[in-house]
Amino acid sequence: MYKLLKRSRVVISLLILVVITLNFLYFANRETLFFAHFLKIQFVPALLGAFTGSGIIFSLLIILTLSFGRVYCSTLCPLGTLQDIFTRMAGIFKSKKKRRFSYSSPKSILRYSLLALALISLIFGITSIISYLDPYSNFGRISTELIGRAEQLIQNGLSAIVPESVFFRTYSTFVAGSFAFAAAFLILIIAMSAFWGRLYCNTICPVGTFLGLLSRFSMFKPQINSQNCNHCTICLQNCKSGCIDAISCKIDESRCVACLDCMTKCKKGAISYKFSWKKKITEETPKDNNQGKLQSRERREAIIAMGLMGTLLASRALGFPRQIVSAPKITGIAPPGAGSIENLKKNCTACQACISACPNGIIKPATTQYGLDGILMPVLSFEKQFCGFDCTVCNQVCPNGALKPLSLEEKKLTQIGRANFRLKKCIVYTDKTDCGACDEHCPTKAITMVPYRDTGLFIPKLNKDICIGCGGCQYVCPATPEKAITVSANEVHKTAQKPTVEKQEKVKVDSFGF
Amino acid sequence: MERRNFLKAALLGSIAGAIQLKPENIFAGGSASAPGKNDLVAVMGGDPVTMYKKGITAMGGISRFVKKGQKVVVKPNIGWDKKPELAANTNPQLVAAIVKDCLAAGAAEVIVFDHTCDEWQACYKNSGIEDAAKSAGAKIGYAHDEKYYKDVNLPDGVRLKSAKIHESIIDCDVWINVPVLKNHGGAKMTISMKNYMGIVWDRGFWHSNDLQQCIADCATYSKKPVLNIVDAFRIMTQNGPKGKTAEDVVLAKALFLSTDIVAADTAALKFFNQFREMKMEAVSHIGKAEKLNVGTTNLDSIKVERIKI
Repeated sequence: MYKLLKRSRVVISLLILVVITLNFLYFANRETLFFAHFLKIQFVPALLGAFTGSGIIFSLLIILTLSFGRVYCSTLCPLGTLQDIFTRMAGIFKSKKKRRFSYSSPKSILRYSLLALALISLIFGITSIISYLDPYSNFGRISTELIGRAEQLIQNGLSAIVPESVFFRTYSTFVAGSFAFAAAFLILIIAMSAFWGRLYCNTICPVGTFLGLLSRFSMFKPQINSQNCNHCTICLQNCKSGCIDAISCKIDESRCVACLDCMTKCKKGAISYKFSWKKKITEETPKDNNQGKLQSRERREAIIAMGLMGTLLASRALGFPRQIVSAPKITGIAPPGAGSIENLKKNCTACQACISACPNGIIKPATTQYGLDGILMPVLSFEKQFCGFDCTVCNQVCPNGALKPLSLEEKKLTQIGRANFRLKKCIVYTDKTDCGACDEHCPTKAITMVPYRDTGLFIPKLNKDICIGCGGCQYVCPATPEKAITVSANEVHKTAQKPTVEKQEKVKVDSFGF
Repeated sequence: MERRNFLKAALLGSIAGAIQLKPENIFAGGSASAPGKNDLVAVMGGDPVTMYKKGITAMGGISRFVKKGQKVVVKPNIGWDKKPELAANTNPQLVAAIVKDCLAAGAAEVIVFDHTCDEWQACYKNSGIEDAAKSAGAKIGYAHDEKYYKDVNLPDGVRLKSAKIHESIIDCDVWINVPVLKNHGGAKMTISMKNYMGIVWDRGFWHSNDLQQCIADCATYSKKPVLNIVDAFRIMTQNGPKGKTAEDVVLAKALFLSTDIVAADTAALKFFNQFREMKMEAVSHIGKAEKLNVGTTNLDSIKVERIKI
């Protein structure tokens, strides 16, 4: 039975890895938003999405963990699967002996400190810490910055070979910091998984640590039947979490990722899931003193973590404002659906789903635009394109609800910023010739061309109330070196006035006019 | 080196081809064309396909312009991510009819492309032109990156002395210009000559170097379209060239075909004036192009046929 379960685990985890990767790839996410749904089953998006969308998935993930332990880590987490792949690949280059894992003691101080740090910062409305540590967000960045770029290189290589059927994808603005972060993280993951299996998941990953604490209370736990066990240690040699202590016949369920490898490898069938809620009552009376101490410490840790998570949930449910606000200077324009930069910072973990999905390629990872606690979060750049009027893709794919899904009608009235016009830089003023590029691109006609003195020329006139900050005007303005029209960010997104509709009188025309 | 030589030869060949076409344009200046071979045909009162069929017959049939085995480019306006009903782009049925006609005349291939303003895939798709052109048998040309454009000299240009022009225009044997008739905030009107902005890469240069003059300058490009077909089935009379709502659009049901690009724009503008006033002097690129001997604004000097359905 465990063999079948293990096979299903491998198949499902690979499927999820593929589906989530596809979401970040151009050829797949341009055709459909289907893959984006799978992002919502990730733990951190489910947690943050609980208050912006529905809490169902979060509850289900908790129930799953309370039932069977960290199934999430072995099956649903794409970074976990990726690490298993690296472990396997590293195994090819190792001798049989070196391939074996061994028991390692838990790095409890480190893992609980990181979890506490992530949770406390979240309570104060800062997502930076969790976004640097979260496995899903890191996987998203690896997909976008590395796999996505490789895909682009391959596509452009193909476009040189078969130019008629494969088009060349224009390289968009490159943010070196974001690329470097993703690359460095990937290298870290490769190194850790190649030498120590799931060490990342059991020391650094706050999701793993939290689910590990939860696993102490799960209904079914893996247990070694000491009567059947012949201490061959094959289980621990195959345990990528290093959580099986063969001497005392104990499995540290807080670090077990429920991969089922030990159960399938054990020749004696000594390891199996046991219903452990009934037993709890007997466990209340510790058998020996030492174990009792250990258990009470573990319980304390678990209770503190649960308390922090509870505080987080409560503070979010009550809609507490962010407690710590970084440098007030905000120059970044947040994508439509963010609502406000504060809301973005409170909910975004910089997974780059919106960045890879934007058909116009205008969403970029922020450097300093939002301040220190907004690094890597999505920010708009009108350098090479502008925000499509009839597009809502970014806010449809966001799994966290950092960008709330907008209907097309809402999006068309969402003012993410406002244009500013500087007459003295305008071509019509400086060169005394017609231009109108901004007016041409303005989707709401916040810009109209009006007679300019008595020159016979027309100059842009801006109605900021209708402007939605799409950046079409800024992108296309040909004035150099400084643009005559630029969009400045709305820290809190506003609703623009509806564009006016100019009714036309019906004219009956029967002739050609010449 | 071989590739470079080949490209050079192709470029020279295409220029030679364009020069060969020139007598036709000079012809258009006089009124002594062969019977049935009009210089300008205006059609009114039908659907886009019917008007095109009547119009092209009156122009002497597509075989006057497209010969067997030729590579043809049909260049509509696909500038915006807008539905056909909003008339921001050329009518897709018209594009399909022209493509079919070219292929029926024995064209080796027909390419349809435009350098769009909105995101190109959305424009190609939502304009309905990609589907229409593909199902009519055309190939879709990519035009969203600078790599698809090549430098071309414009010796007759006043401000625009050279431009990066799309490779499929450079490589083709003949091209047909298929604009849509629209009001335009910057250029006042966008018709046939303004449609050249979709065959060049750096439009910003035009905007910052006397837009009206640059439009006229680019029309001096030696490889002229063999035919200009102005779609005026639906016309955008205000808030152009992008438009806001269907309120900006009038169902005008007309089509203009001409070998003379200046005459085509003149005729279309005169037609437009019946719906909305727009002075000829304001659309100064038309007059500027005439000065550069691109064509004539004097419709009485050419052979015109008017057809009402």
